[in-house]
Amino acid sequence: MSINGNRRDFLCNSALGFGGLAASTILPAASVNPFAAKPKHFESKGKSVIFLFMHGGPSHLDTFDPKPLLSKLHGQPVPPSFGSADFQFTQVDKAPLMATPRVFKKRGQSGIEISDLFENLAAHADDLAVVRSCYHDGFTHVTGQTWMNTGWGRIGRPSVGSWVVYGLGNESENLPAFVVMLDGGIKAGSPAYASGFLPAMYQGTVLRSDGPPILNINRPAEISENQQRHLFETLRHLNEQHREQRAADTELAARMASYELAFKMQMSVPEVADLSKETEVTRKLYGIGEAQTNEFGTQCLMARRLVEKGVRFVQLYSGGRKGAEVGWDGHNECDQNHAFMANKVDRPIAGLLTDLKSRGLLDSTVVLWGGDFGRTPFTDGAAGGGGSRNGRDHNPYGFTVWMAGGGIKGGKVIGTTDDIGMRATQDKVSMHDLHATLLSLLGLEHTKLTFPFQGREFRLTDVGGQNNFYRRLIQG
Amino acid sequence: MRACLLLAASALAAQDAVSILQNQCGSCHGAAAMAGLDLRTREGLLTGGSRGPAMAPGNADASLLIQAVRRTGSLQMPPGKTGLKPDEVETLARWVAGGAPWSKVVSPGEPNWWSFKKVRRPAAPRGYANPIDGFIQAKLDEHKLKPAAAADKRTLIRRATFDLHGLPPTPKEVDAFLADTGADAFAKVLDRLLASPRYGERWGRHWLDVVRYADTGGFETDVYFPNAWRYRDYVINAFNNDKPYNRFVQEQIAGDELWPDNLDLNGGFDIPSEKLEHLQARIATGMYTIGPAYHEAAFFGGQVRYEWLTDVVDTTGEAFLGLTLGCSRCHNHKFDPITQKDYHAMMAVFANSEEREAPVVSQFNIFGFKSGYPNWLKVEELKGAIQRINQAARKRVVDKVRSRFGADVLAAYDTPQAKRTPEQRALAAKLEGAITQAGLEENAEGKEADIPFTPEEDAEKKRLIVELGEAALKANPVSQTATVLGRSARRMDTYMTHRGDWRSRGEKVDPAMPVVIGAAVKVDDEHRRTSLALWLSDPSHPLTARVMVNRAWHWHFGRGIVATPGDFGRQGEPPTHPELLDWLTSEFVENGWSMKKLHRQIMLSAAYQRASEGPEANRRIDASNRFLWRMNRQRIDGETLRDSMLAASGALNVKMGGRPVIPPLSKEEYTVMWARGQWPVALDPKEHTRRSVYLYVKRTFPLPMLTTFDVPDTSQSCSRRDSTTVAPQALTLINGEFSQKQAALLAERARAIDAADPVSALWRLAFARVPAADEKARAQSLPLQQLALVVFNMNEFLYVD
Repeated sequence: MSINGNRRDFLCNSALGFGGLAASTILPAASVNPFAAKPKHFESKGKSVIFLFMHGGPSHLDTFDPKPLLSKLHGQPVPPSFGSADFQFTQVDKAPLMATPRVFKKRGQSGIEISDLFENLAAHADDLAVVRSCYHDGFTHVTGQTWMNTGWGRIGRPSVGSWVVYGLGNESENLPAFVVMLDGGIKAGSPAYASGFLPAMYQGTVLRSDGPPILNINRPAEISENQQRHLFETLRHLNEQHREQRAADTELAARMASYELAFKMQMSVPEVADLSKETEVTRKLYGIGEAQTNEFGTQCLMARRLVEKGVRFVQLYSGGRKGAEVGWDGHNECDQNHAFMANKVDRPIAGLLTDLKSRGLLDSTVVLWGGDFGRTPFTDGAAGGGGSRNGRDHNPYGFTVWMAGGGIKGGKVIGTTDDIGMRATQDKVSMHDLHATLLSLLGLEHTKLTFPFQGREFRLTDVGGQNNFYRRLIQG
Repeated sequence: MRACLLLAASALAAQDAVSILQNQCGSCHGAAAMAGLDLRTREGLLTGGSRGPAMAPGNADASLLIQAVRRTGSLQMPPGKTGLKPDEVETLARWVAGGAPWSKVVSPGEPNWWSFKKVRRPAAPRGYANPIDGFIQAKLDEHKLKPAAAADKRTLIRRATFDLHGLPPTPKEVDAFLADTGADAFAKVLDRLLASPRYGERWGRHWLDVVRYADTGGFETDVYFPNAWRYRDYVINAFNNDKPYNRFVQEQIAGDELWPDNLDLNGGFDIPSEKLEHLQARIATGMYTIGPAYHEAAFFGGQVRYEWLTDVVDTTGEAFLGLTLGCSRCHNHKFDPITQKDYHAMMAVFANSEEREAPVVSQFNIFGFKSGYPNWLKVEELKGAIQRINQAARKRVVDKVRSRFGADVLAAYDTPQAKRTPEQRALAAKLEGAITQAGLEENAEGKEADIPFTPEEDAEKKRLIVELGEAALKANPVSQTATVLGRSARRMDTYMTHRGDWRSRGEKVDPAMPVVIGAAVKVDDEHRRTSLALWLSDPSHPLTARVMVNRAWHWHFGRGIVATPGDFGRQGEPPTHPELLDWLTSEFVENGWSMKKLHRQIMLSAAYQRASEGPEANRRIDASNRFLWRMNRQRIDGETLRDSMLAASGALNVKMGGRPVIPPLSKEEYTVMWARGQWPVALDPKEHTRRSVYLYVKRTFPLPMLTTFDVPDTSQSCSRRDSTTVAPQALTLINGEFSQKQAALLAERARAIDAADPVSALWRLAFARVPAADEKARAQSLPLQQLALVVFNMNEFLYVD
């Protein structure tokens, strides 16, 4: 009966349910906060998540999944033994294979092979669990982005951040529970971080690194802080008078409490977004102040500050639309594209891992890196055949993500793709498996995290998640 | 509490077990009874087949069924390599070990669920002016609950106005109602509210939730649906004209088949009014052309079609049947007797339909449009001239880049792509890369890159652009269409799929209605949707009218008689007042499926007119007010909030219909949008203050203010909105630009109404009352504009007693 227990629990713990199950007295302040932290299903080290999303789809073949055979077969057609599949622009039988121009090296004690696109990150190899056998079936950006973010190749399902916050609430009382940082528009739009059929309160809040950090957080210029304090006070008194004439309506009380929180957020959000108090050493670590790394470095540092304050789920996008930049979508000159993009994120990500570790936060913070999908071992091309622009098409059938922190014993590789990296073969990890594992790191049992919708108890992991590899991650 | 809470654990286990037998074994050991074994009943299992009894209740190990699914003995079932999943085997074994109690829950073929049984009109309770009150009182008596007193008139008119219009009453309307001491004063208010076009905007918006309305298709291209608004206006007009609900259903499903007229003039200039009505019926089928558009993400037409049919069946199921059919795409429904075959049979109903553009003007007017076409030729000519200048300038840049490369690269680049050798590909790529670097592509704002023009080119281009603008002013649209459903010329067969995978092809499925609901019906193969429409709108259909009556109750009271208005199945809640629901439903049908009569019936009941506070003792018995001893206090939704702020400030523009309004966004809101060129803001500021129902609904970018206030996701039907309370809502209303602007206008308006006592004027505009003395004292401590802002934020502004 865990399912129904869960629903009841939900109704009791959120402002949503107050109308339905109104208690006869005003609830204590803690219960009025709909994001009050909730107990885990079981003990685990992970408390919060930083999800680094490489928008456009980074190539696994040039980063974390070396394929010597590709170099041998460069320029040749795909041998028929590898089979066929559907790709967005390319027909397998018409496209020549393309070797990686990158150099892979064994890194750290564990000897995980990582390419020279991520020289800084590579120094953390022994903290990483590199999952080389991810797959889904969405070969266009939006389907890939929704698979990765919501476990479903269409728009409309709740994002993983929404599920986590629904399951665990927030440790911070005056910061949003699920924060999203973007460096430009993303193709899936807000459905990538929306709450789908979960209540809207669980949607991601967009935090900006310039201008007002979140929408409407800044008091209008013409109202002083004192004036606004008086305004809030007056509002509270008038609402109090209204409530006194109405017996025990917890919804009204909850709404009054939300104003106290809003008032506090006006201080706490700009404070967390203000990096001026960080030391020069820290700022350097993230590459802040240098042209290529400043933006993502700033976001990574903000991410650390957020999880430090107890924010549950932070998602960062690299490669949103800006000018003519296409993010990680290496259809043309994949290597140039990836060198440009990796240059923006390599130092910031390495800096983030270093910083989290030195502050003792890595153990409680799960860092997840991935994108829409991986890329094809053959060139992308005009009219279905291999083109000339040394690009790679989208490949959802085999690609890499990596995870670190949250109790993960790093330095391991999970799963493999075939010898040209077209398809996951061993230890295949579906998005449900990945999400189930992520939830486990946070102490949530993926089969118990459910929400009633359209006549059934929906899960982030739908009916999947059987290959939850959490145990393997936390064992040495 | 939900029905499932009441199910004991053993009943759930039985349900699971029976569902496994039905889904995994039923095709051979159902009606077909292979080897004499029929697993549809407990008796069937006990009797067994040619090998003897299939089970020994209480002893799993000794049961043939369990041995067979465990695949330990000679008999291994189901046939094939894999067999059942371990957890399914375990479920069956535990169920047999526990005595194998039979679950009646899943048994297709017999309508034993309340909502599938025909509506039977109960006798109206005696002694009540409005029979609704008799039914409610019976439940109150049963649970020893005392009804709350009647609400005061001020509360009542505020409640009714928000309910029917989604707007606050004006001070004048309040005064008129207070002054009218006649017994029928409230009935007169209802007549006035129902006759106003604001009613259709409010109740049409409710329906638009149910049909997952949006103006774009979502996904990467997020295609703009140029005619979605025609369907939106159709819905609003249908409510305003009190279109009978059965006809409303028929039109949306099969308007084109049932009223197929074209707009021929029959010799006259005016289109006969009945033909215009038939045009409306065709526009109604737009319901099926505004769903999520998956096309860009699919490689195969078959997949696009399967996705479309999925959306069509799911939306039809929830909207008209109040059932969640989605589960049955992949397997027989676990809880409701809807089979996977039923689902695909419903797909088959729509399988010979396709989207098309239907002209919305007469043949005569089409001639007019065509005669104006040369104006467009001029526009095209001017565009061509401008493009030639752009190309010439671009070529200069490219030539400059080319000059940096050797002959081999240039030769490779000039060789057609398909004919290049691998070496040439690499060479050509160098030049291509350099051209890309030169930044000759469009940027995120949709503006062209900065190409250097000569002064002559620049001047000529500017001249041409002015001329282009003038030509465009004269160029009228060449046609006007509605995007509707029509019958496809090609014949499309439907096949069963394996677990919803569109590629798998099982047996062919003929169009049919779900077998356990309503009357059996023979589908007219040429007019399949007509068959569905007539089946649904048959007065004896157990769900169609019931579901709509319950929706109305839900939207009036904030909670339906069935609290899950989109799920009348076993996972939904049972009705709190089943007799009332059936009585109202039969009344509704007898009254010609009139929504307005239904509203009057409901709103004239004492139950509707009660205060939202009542005897304290009741709370211990029925804290959540399921039995309606008081009125529910309801929070207004996002659109109503925005509209009410505009109404209070006086800025509301009540212009109706037409293209969706694209409102301006703040800079911060823009930054997260993928393609900003897809947000052409309405340039007339008066448009920005129109009712929310007319605002642009973009699937990848729902309006931030509305999203904060729980506007539903548009990927699926929504029967019941959430209502959450979070701090970003407070920030939106305190700091947001919209809020600030309306507060300034409200303050100005209050001062204009009563310069001596603007606070009272403010209170009357916002709350339909004057402030109490202590309130007023407190209010006066703030500058008026800030006070207006406070008013928008007060609970009283958002909660309707």
